[in-house]
Amino acid sequence: MNNLEQTALEIQALALELGAEEAAVSISHSISTELTQRESVLEKTQQSNSLGVGIELLVDGKFSGHSASDVRLQSLKPFLQRAIDATRFLEPDPHRALPELQEMGFSDDNIEANDDSWDLQTPESRRELLNSVEASSQEASSHLDVRSITHHVWDSKVQSHVCASNGYSQGWQRTSFGMGGEITLVDNDRLPEAYDYRSARHLSDLPTVQELSTELVKRGESRIKSSGIASGKMPILLRNFAARKIIGTFLSPLQGTAIYEKRSCLLDKVGKQVAATNLTIVDNPLIPRASGSRPYTGDGFATKKQTIVENGVLNMHLLNLYNARRLNRPPTIGGASNVCVAPSELSPMDLIKELPQCIVIEGFLGGNANSITGDFSYGITGRYFEHGEFVQGVSEMNISGNILELLHSFESTANDVWMFSQYRTPSMLFNNVQCSGV
Amino acid sequence: MSIPKPTGPAGTYFESMGITPELCRQILQTALSNGGDDCELYFQHSASNSIQLTDGKVSQASTSLDLGMGVRVIQGDQVGYSYSEDLTPSALLNAARIASQIAQAGQSLTVQSPTVHSVPNYHPVQTGWDSVNMQTRVQLLRKWEQKAFAQHNSVKRVDVFLRDGASVIMIVRADGKMVEDWRPSTMGYIQCTVESNGKTESGSYNVAARGGLEYFSEERQVRLVTEAVNRALFQLEAVSPPAGEYPVVLAAGPSAILLHEAIGHGLEADFNRKNISIFSSKLNQQIANEHVTIVDDATIEGSRGALNIDDEGNETERTVLVENGVLRSYLHDSISARHFGVAPTGSGRRQSFRHTPIPRMRATIMENGPHTHDEIVASVKKGIYCAAFSNGQVNIGGGDFAFYVKQGYLIENGKLTQPIKDVNVIGNGPDSLSKMDMVGNDMRVDEGGWTCGKDGQGVPVSQGMPTVRVSSLTVGGMG
Repeated sequence: MNNLEQTALEIQALALELGAEEAAVSISHSISTELTQRESVLEKTQQSNSLGVGIELLVDGKFSGHSASDVRLQSLKPFLQRAIDATRFLEPDPHRALPELQEMGFSDDNIEANDDSWDLQTPESRRELLNSVEASSQEASSHLDVRSITHHVWDSKVQSHVCASNGYSQGWQRTSFGMGGEITLVDNDRLPEAYDYRSARHLSDLPTVQELSTELVKRGESRIKSSGIASGKMPILLRNFAARKIIGTFLSPLQGTAIYEKRSCLLDKVGKQVAATNLTIVDNPLIPRASGSRPYTGDGFATKKQTIVENGVLNMHLLNLYNARRLNRPPTIGGASNVCVAPSELSPMDLIKELPQCIVIEGFLGGNANSITGDFSYGITGRYFEHGEFVQGVSEMNISGNILELLHSFESTANDVWMFSQYRTPSMLFNNVQCSGV
Repeated sequence: MSIPKPTGPAGTYFESMGITPELCRQILQTALSNGGDDCELYFQHSASNSIQLTDGKVSQASTSLDLGMGVRVIQGDQVGYSYSEDLTPSALLNAARIASQIAQAGQSLTVQSPTVHSVPNYHPVQTGWDSVNMQTRVQLLRKWEQKAFAQHNSVKRVDVFLRDGASVIMIVRADGKMVEDWRPSTMGYIQCTVESNGKTESGSYNVAARGGLEYFSEERQVRLVTEAVNRALFQLEAVSPPAGEYPVVLAAGPSAILLHEAIGHGLEADFNRKNISIFSSKLNQQIANEHVTIVDDATIEGSRGALNIDDEGNETERTVLVENGVLRSYLHDSISARHFGVAPTGSGRRQSFRHTPIPRMRATIMENGPHTHDEIVASVKKGIYCAAFSNGQVNIGGGDFAFYVKQGYLIENGKLTQPIKDVNVIGNGPDSLSKMDMVGNDMRVDEGGWTCGKDGQGVPVSQGMPTVRVSSLTVGGMG
């Protein structure tokens, strides 16, 4: 038994001793380092060694949740006693009980979430990586009027353990490495800016510093002389790293709380066509080394691959155990893990080269969506193309519409799946989207 | 649990946890062992509570307790930072050693013995949440729920949320300055779902402040419920506006999200120190119409953005940013103030001991101008009136900003006509400032629970402005 499990079990025992009838304890320990450098000067170093605990209590059939950063039992005892006393004033919630132990589990798949090379990182190795990122970005931007480039590297190791009073006890650990930068250029009296951040579970899965720098500078360069174009309906190509915004807009009204509270445009859409027939969206928590992979869910169920949308048909709402019980339905996915959209064999340029006009969206600025109606309106930045030829950078523009109509207008993916976040999406082409500019 | 206002002499709250002045001096000395221009320790003990009424039951509650210390070493513009949730001397000294690594044998600073400095009180509280029992909180939620259902028969669902919190912070600086502060907070939130003619919509409203139970006056409770219900009903009638460039009239109060995004962030001095803000090098230049005066004021009593002392231990103030259209000041923390050779403006803020302080807004206000609300609306032949908002964002260097309108109207021939909703409005900060050609005389500080995000840190802020006309912004509507 490791120290974290021991501590979690002691806290759970304390909660039961103080009067809780059920208790679930999740504890995590993280060690992280972040370095920031600008103009060859180390601007900031931050290191932390952090511990935190979350405790869910069921007292006389009543539920409450608590968190604390001080996990010492002598500190937690009065805190938990007050929490338990206060919980008695609430009303019972029959849907909050722990699941049966035999329903709970832990995936046996090797998700390779931990990179042993994390233990070999030193202040010198982090500085070396940071210096190489900076050297590369300086070289890549040498033809531009650069006001500033800030560079970052970071890494962390997190160990978690969950135990519950029904006997469940599981833990796992994962590492994370990242690097990125922000570039500010000079464009007459404006200072266009862009950023690129990448993270991966394994250090060796990060891109080369040249790849990062080239993309960072390219994004910055596309902001020079950017402006709005004439309003109208036209195709948009969402770059792979930007597609998460639209996929996220679709996933939001699928959440169990929105379904239970009837605040969702997808309330009665399970089994129905909600997108173009060539769109399939999968949640896969078992991809080795992927950012969103994990062995168990927030409810303590073993994770598994599930298809959310198959050939445009909605397969499920995203229900954790609590919302599933409230709806008297089986649980599905409490929270998305790795959201995957299959790539095609075409490059992004293949997708747009024949189009008379197309906005390639590389970023969003503000905006929001209404989960009940599905209507959205987002500010965008990107590049405008005609017949595959770059015409100008795009800024001060919005795209607006309804998420279901947008997904029905989906045309194709490209071959460039983004590997550096839990949204593993390729670039995605949509047709006939309302774009408003000048 | 709630943390009551400390009753002992300032500086003694953390002493009861073993944090003596001598230990602080040792931590500072360790942090400066490699040199450094400045150093401070930031101790924080926070607790927050929330209860929620949903499905007609008060069946969800949560509490959070946080305790720790952050130590920052500054050398020039460089920062070394570490924190510890373990307040034992060995853990704190270890955090200091980690932070010290930023410095490389710079000047040796002599650590002074801590001396307590008093702080003002911009958030007096009559009934602290530590004295409010669970039954009283439950009764409040039930009352709001009943009022919401009683207000309109289209209301089908009501969710109510009440939150309170308090922090005790103590800052000890290498120059010996030691301050202690107590920061209360509260928020009430209602979301209503309405159904009519087969359509479902929802609307929400929230009020927030640094206050105790007395903040929820009868008048405010009525407004909280009424606004939430009305906003939901409004959504049933509203449509997406036409897309394109239009004159935009911003209603008094919450429209100050435009100030916050379009101007406020660009005046935070870390961006200007690095010369990457669109407002860099524009001090004392005319950047807006002469009717435009903008302040950032930490001293508005009880407001969510009120701050007795900033998170570096500097005195707070009412900072004049733009005076009659002329840029007068940036918002400074200690680093930027030293960089520019000016006094800090008390704007160094952080989310918690886990974060480094950076220049932030507190309560950003546009002062009154000469026009009335009615004459501003009447001046627009075809445009958009924006009344309620959910979020905004800005690109600092380019100056492009956006804010999302939850509720508004078309303006046709000088009158408010068709209700509109769910539209993103986008513009450019300096360009929009120059296009603010009418400023109303009805300034109102919004009572909503705004939280500003920057560098991964969220801090509570307030904002306010009078009715303002911007002659042209891009509206992200349909068709």
